[in-house]
Amino acid sequence: MKIKKLISILLAAVLAVMTMSATVSAVDPYTTYNYDAWFNAIPSQAGYEVVATYDSVTMHLEQLSDPNSEFFISEDEPATMSDMKDFFLSPKNEFYIVDTGNNRIIKTDLEFNLLACYKNFPGSYTKHTIVDDQGNETVVDADELKSPYGIFVDEDDVMYIADRDNQRVVKCVEETKTSARILSEYYRPETELYDSVSFYCTKVLVDAAKNVYVLCPAVNKGAIMFSDSGSFVGYYGANRVEVTAEVIRNKIWRKIASEEQLASLVRLTPVEYANFDIDKEGFIWTVTEVANATTDAVKKMNPAGYNILERTADNNQFGDQISVTYNGTTYATRLTDITVSEDGFVNILDYTSGRVFQYDERCNQLLIFGFDQEEQRGGFYNPNAIESHGDNIYVLDGRNCDITVFGLTEFGRYVHEAIALHNRGLYAEAYDIWQEVLKRDGGFYMALLGTAKALYNQDDYEGAMKYAKLAFNDTDYDKAFEANRQEMLRDNFTMYVVIILLVVVAWIVINVLKKKKKIPQKLIATGVSIVVEKGKTLIQNIVAKAQKGGKGK
Amino acid sequence: MIYDMKPWQWVKHVIFHPTEGYEDMRWKKAGSIKIAFFIVFLLFCSQVFSARYGGFAYNMKAYSDVFNIVPILVQSVAYYATWVVANWSICTLFDGEGNMRRVAIYTAYALVPYIVCNFLATLISYGITLDESIWYTAISQVGLWWSVVLMVFGMKACHQYNFTMTIVSMICTVLGMVLILCLLALVMSLFQQVYVFFATIYTEILYRVRS
Repeated sequence: MKIKKLISILLAAVLAVMTMSATVSAVDPYTTYNYDAWFNAIPSQAGYEVVATYDSVTMHLEQLSDPNSEFFISEDEPATMSDMKDFFLSPKNEFYIVDTGNNRIIKTDLEFNLLACYKNFPGSYTKHTIVDDQGNETVVDADELKSPYGIFVDEDDVMYIADRDNQRVVKCVEETKTSARILSEYYRPETELYDSVSFYCTKVLVDAAKNVYVLCPAVNKGAIMFSDSGSFVGYYGANRVEVTAEVIRNKIWRKIASEEQLASLVRLTPVEYANFDIDKEGFIWTVTEVANATTDAVKKMNPAGYNILERTADNNQFGDQISVTYNGTTYATRLTDITVSEDGFVNILDYTSGRVFQYDERCNQLLIFGFDQEEQRGGFYNPNAIESHGDNIYVLDGRNCDITVFGLTEFGRYVHEAIALHNRGLYAEAYDIWQEVLKRDGGFYMALLGTAKALYNQDDYEGAMKYAKLAFNDTDYDKAFEANRQEMLRDNFTMYVVIILLVVVAWIVINVLKKKKKIPQKLIATGVSIVVEKGKTLIQNIVAKAQKGGKGK
Repeated sequence: MIYDMKPWQWVKHVIFHPTEGYEDMRWKKAGSIKIAFFIVFLLFCSQVFSARYGGFAYNMKAYSDVFNIVPILVQSVAYYATWVVANWSICTLFDGEGNMRRVAIYTAYALVPYIVCNFLATLISYGITLDESIWYTAISQVGLWWSVVLMVFGMKACHQYNFTMTIVSMICTVLGMVLILCLLALVMSLFQQVYVFFATIYTEILYRVRS
């Protein structure tokens, strides 16, 4: 059923694309959906819509090869971006785009006007030799980046760049509009603890204490953590191994297998996480980019590296709930990037479908938007990174080489307002807004739940029961039910007591009479038979009349 | 005590006198197969009832899922039938005295407390919260174990075994049930394959005739 539904949504989307090309209208260009309490995909209102798209042309990257411009780098500097892997919104509200294919960092403002383009990185104080996976040694070309994959910028505009193919993390600061001076570099840790040969870092993140967290896809022990001074501190927050049938089988085999057999067994290791983000409270959120990951797909980690997410993926899967096979290709959710907005909304980018899944801070599914039709605005081919500013969501596409800005619709704004009140416990205040949401999408799960809670707080227990039932939530239903029962008992207490007393008295009287054999059984029997006789004749009369009436007509 | 009872009075007598009731019933050759089948029908009804009704917090499934009657039919009628067949087959080998009719009757009579408590628990779940689930559990457990005790004494009286022999024969019966169900599944898949074989031949011939 679910598969059918998703396929039909996809088909509808394809149809929409076909028809939309000819017409220009205010209707949403793609079908949006949401998940109900049973994790079925249900068509829903669009919470976000495309506001703008920015690419190399609108950014005026031709200035980079224009000798008269202040951004001039060289005559043959490409005027287009290529295969961007990451971008970052700094605390000063400036975008840093990692132009991986051209080995440069582009800095823009919120409207994507060019502010700087860093191509040269002077100041590397070491000539460092790196070893790749084949054992070949090369000396780092220290003045330039070599396919940078990730960037982080702190509040002093200090950039931390994961310089992947140079196997280093660069910490640098702007020198001119085209170059940035390197302050320090983080290389592969020279320690027994680090057992991987290479240091192909892809993502980098810095916390308030200036600890640097680096992700390497080859390392599954968690993020590699450096102190401010550049020394290796340890690993941070590894994922757990997903429990599958294979894990259990291997565990049993390990108990009985011999040494040789043990050596041939596959070692099951946790999956490394693909990306992370730090929220304003300093918690680090991670996503795991494995198809249909259920264990530790999304984590919120405290400084000690423990997952403190209340609701984990054991309850439901993040992203799409099921994978869909369509036209011979299987589409399974692959969470590629995460960003936490200032209001606490968690936005997760699904690489496969190009959709953004928005959750509130308690991981309740709110809105789903975005689309994987690459020919269309708001559709993605290689969605690589996501950022948020205010109510806007920015998605970076490495194949289309553009950045798409999503803005809230009226519906989305209602949802956001209501959820903000709801999560602060102001259920009554959220009630009216939830009603607005329900007018637009009658099956919106959080709206039903919010209404139930609001009605409960307003002592309308029957209403609360009704909405909790609709939201399919047993705990809230139970609370309302208990209160409702108590109210009923309180209101009709005397009646209940009288009924119980009457029943008890009658029972005692009957028993006493039975013992004394004073129940006139014959009398009762004749009485009952008379009543039955009369009833019979009455019914027969009615039947006869009805038949007559039927014939008369 | 007077043992001149109507068939339905025997049911009551057996249920409330587990140790003696079955012996009495055997001695008087009482027990009605019609009532037994009616009880099995009630068992089916009670299982349907508890699957489709109940307080929302207790049985959320009833308010969402598409209802499928086949598993319930298997859980009640098919299990009962296999139990009777398996028990009779095993106990015939173990020098049991009961015939199949008697096994069917005694088994069905033993199910009554379970059925009643099943209905009761489902009804009571409309009036209690999740915190008070102890009542729900208590009622259903009492019904279940009452029925188990009745079943043990019923089989004991039916086959005139001693206590250990009864337990052994019941365990063997359960194994026999598993065996019967496995064989049934096997036979069914076999027949399906045979059917598919003939169907293929039929279509093949059709193609040849047409071309």
